Amino acid sequence: MKLDWRQGILYATTIGIEGCWLYAILALLNKQAVDGRLSIIGLLLLYPLAFGINKLLRQLQWHEVYLRVISWLVWAAGMLLILKVQIFGGLAWSDPNWLLALPQAIGQIIYLVFRPELLILVSTAIMWWLGRRLAYQRMSFAASVSEFQFGLVILLITFFVISQLKVNPADSVPITLTFFLFALLGISIAHAQEGTSWLSGMNQGHWAGLLLISVSLILILGLLISSLVTPDLLQLIVTALKWVWGLIWSVILKVMAFIASLFPTSGPAELPPAAPMPELEPTPGANIFTIPEAVENGLRIGWTTLMIGFLVFALWRISSQIFGWLRRKLAGMAGAEYEPLPGAFRADFLGLLKRFFRLLRLRLSFHFRRKPSSMIPEIVSVRQIYRQLLHWVDTRGYPRQTSQTPHEYLYTLVALLPEAHLDLEFITRQYVGARYGASSPTEDELRTLRQSWHRIKRNRLKKHDKERTQKGEGDLNG
Amino acid sequence: MDKVTKDAMPEISPIMEAAGRFITNVGKVIVGKKEAIELVLVALLCEGHVLIEDVPGIGKTMLAKAVAGSLGCTFKRIQSTPDLLPSDITGIHYFNQKTAEFEFRPGPIMTNILLIDEINRATPRTQSCLLECMQEQQVTVDLETLPLPRPFLVIATQNPVELEGTFPLPEAQLDRFLLKIKLGYPSEDEERTILSRFQQENPLDNMASVVKGKELLELQKLCRQVYIEDSIHKYAIAITRATRDYQGIELGASPRASLGLHLASQALAAIRGRNYVIPDDVKYLAVPALAHRLIAKTEARLRGHSLETIVNEVVAAVPVPVEE
Repeated sequence: MKLDWRQGILYATTIGIEGCWLYAILALLNKQAVDGRLSIIGLLLLYPLAFGINKLLRQLQWHEVYLRVISWLVWAAGMLLILKVQIFGGLAWSDPNWLLALPQAIGQIIYLVFRPELLILVSTAIMWWLGRRLAYQRMSFAASVSEFQFGLVILLITFFVISQLKVNPADSVPITLTFFLFALLGISIAHAQEGTSWLSGMNQGHWAGLLLISVSLILILGLLISSLVTPDLLQLIVTALKWVWGLIWSVILKVMAFIASLFPTSGPAELPPAAPMPELEPTPGANIFTIPEAVENGLRIGWTTLMIGFLVFALWRISSQIFGWLRRKLAGMAGAEYEPLPGAFRADFLGLLKRFFRLLRLRLSFHFRRKPSSMIPEIVSVRQIYRQLLHWVDTRGYPRQTSQTPHEYLYTLVALLPEAHLDLEFITRQYVGARYGASSPTEDELRTLRQSWHRIKRNRLKKHDKERTQKGEGDLNG
Repeated sequence: MDKVTKDAMPEISPIMEAAGRFITNVGKVIVGKKEAIELVLVALLCEGHVLIEDVPGIGKTMLAKAVAGSLGCTFKRIQSTPDLLPSDITGIHYFNQKTAEFEFRPGPIMTNILLIDEINRATPRTQSCLLECMQEQQVTVDLETLPLPRPFLVIATQNPVELEGTFPLPEAQLDRFLLKIKLGYPSEDEERTILSRFQQENPLDNMASVVKGKELLELQKLCRQVYIEDSIHKYAIAITRATRDYQGIELGASPRASLGLHLASQALAAIRGRNYVIPDDVKYLAVPALAHRLIAKTEARLRGHSLETIVNEVVAAVPVPVEE
């Protein structure tokens, strides 16, 4: 199986994993909020559509900001069309009234009443964002495990909410099974792709067979369990748990009552009748301290978001602990597959924090004068250019592995931009000298370095992407 | 990087010149294997010792003799056998009947370059007598401690396949070797060159020394001045420390290994024409400098993970200091 095929399957499995938990959330909202008026499948189809459109947009190799703007404009245009059909279905397309009334209608949807259109608006925006995110992501083993872990947490939360709201969870078993199917498929393929597992060793030729057997086994076991575990059985288990909890709680109450009985009780002292309170007229300044409704709503939303955030964080921590425990157990088992997991949720989380702090630093640098660096300015310039190069290639989906040295990464860079190999070699050489050898470049070298960097940026990976497309077509034909 | 540090960069051209001469000269005898020759030179420049391990007939002894021949130093050879005694290496006090006094007759250890062939055929007792010599460059005989001549380099060879009648080197002994080198089989072209080169005469017979002992001592001093940036220091230490926590390793690398990796990186950088160390130097040397000092867990061995593979896995897990 070629690398591009595997990447394609990995994208599909990721869409499948995310589609499962999105389906669970949307189904819940559909039942609770809009009386089943949403077409969930239709909404979910927007996700692969967003992925495909953003993948195509990415081929343009324009500046990231332009691509982002175009992508969201496409989404906005699509939403306008949907709103036209949903709200002004009776008006003709040529009638300008629907266009004039649209802003007011959107305002009403967002601020005044909760309608299915608001749910459509929000969920399509989320789908679009997820699709765009996936289009710019390169799938790896760590990313697949991360998707699985995150999806599991979301599914758990959703099922918890479903059980609390006492909604009939008719789709929960197929959703869970499909989720595990996609997750297992994705993780296995990513695992084999990175060539770090037993799948890449002597059993490489049989990996597809082993994978299929594993998937089938999981499915069969899942179906078997789902047929055995009936709602009555679940009800029985829940009742038993409730009974045990009630028992524990009654013991706690008895203990507390016993502790309270140890303290001497004093009878209520008779108090003299209270003096009548004088009636105070409201002072004009008293209204200053009342919180406006909008602020109150904002605070409420903020508080709820914070609480949900805490809940997600707590669940993530719990699931991480469970994963960690399983991995430690596996490490102790002879012959068990165990390997370091460099990515997963932690890397995502740290990456997010890192980006946030980088952004913060960027913002602050506009306001505060930076501390003068002890480094030679030329060396600072060289390091800055190399940093920009790394970031530039990273955003195009070819990040440097943490264990790669600049010279090792040069091979990746040259493979991506063969026509710019001289510029890339020059930049790498200058960076290595400046970073590790305190070698300060001359004025001429620095000028050449900047020119090289500008030449590379202009190149925009065009040739490489063309070749990749051609190769992909060749593989498909072959 | 401060300006002060940049001004303190050493001039490493003498090392480069000497390295060029040495590698060319040894290359007259050893066909191909430039990497192995370079590693031996690294050990020479660090005052470290080398263990050459490979199957018979690959050229281990030949390499050791070529190295010795290229240096204008004294050279002795010990052929290890199970009946070899420590006194056969260190020397003995014997009674001189003419002078009616005990006199010290130095053993082959009193040399600049010592070749110990098939070291694992010597008994542990004999192997242990080398511990002091290799680490402290001195030898104690009958309560008398004598300094060894400088430079002092031990080149030991061992055969990994024939284990009958051999005694595996103890960890303490292995840790004293700076590098372990594997030569590997030559390519077809190289093998053809070997045949034609050795057809008429043995090139070892006409070998001339190209680096003198005194010059080597100067180069060793110069080598230690090669600049290592702080993050590279931390990187080398991180690799060594990672071996101690790695799941497949029973016994990790020692601080001596850390120091060895550090020194070897400086030497390699100088040989390759740089007065500063880069992460590639550390990565390149991680396997020859660390693998032989580790003990793999039984399950790792049973799963067929060699120590070289394990070190490579460790290195692949340690982040290289590069811009974020």
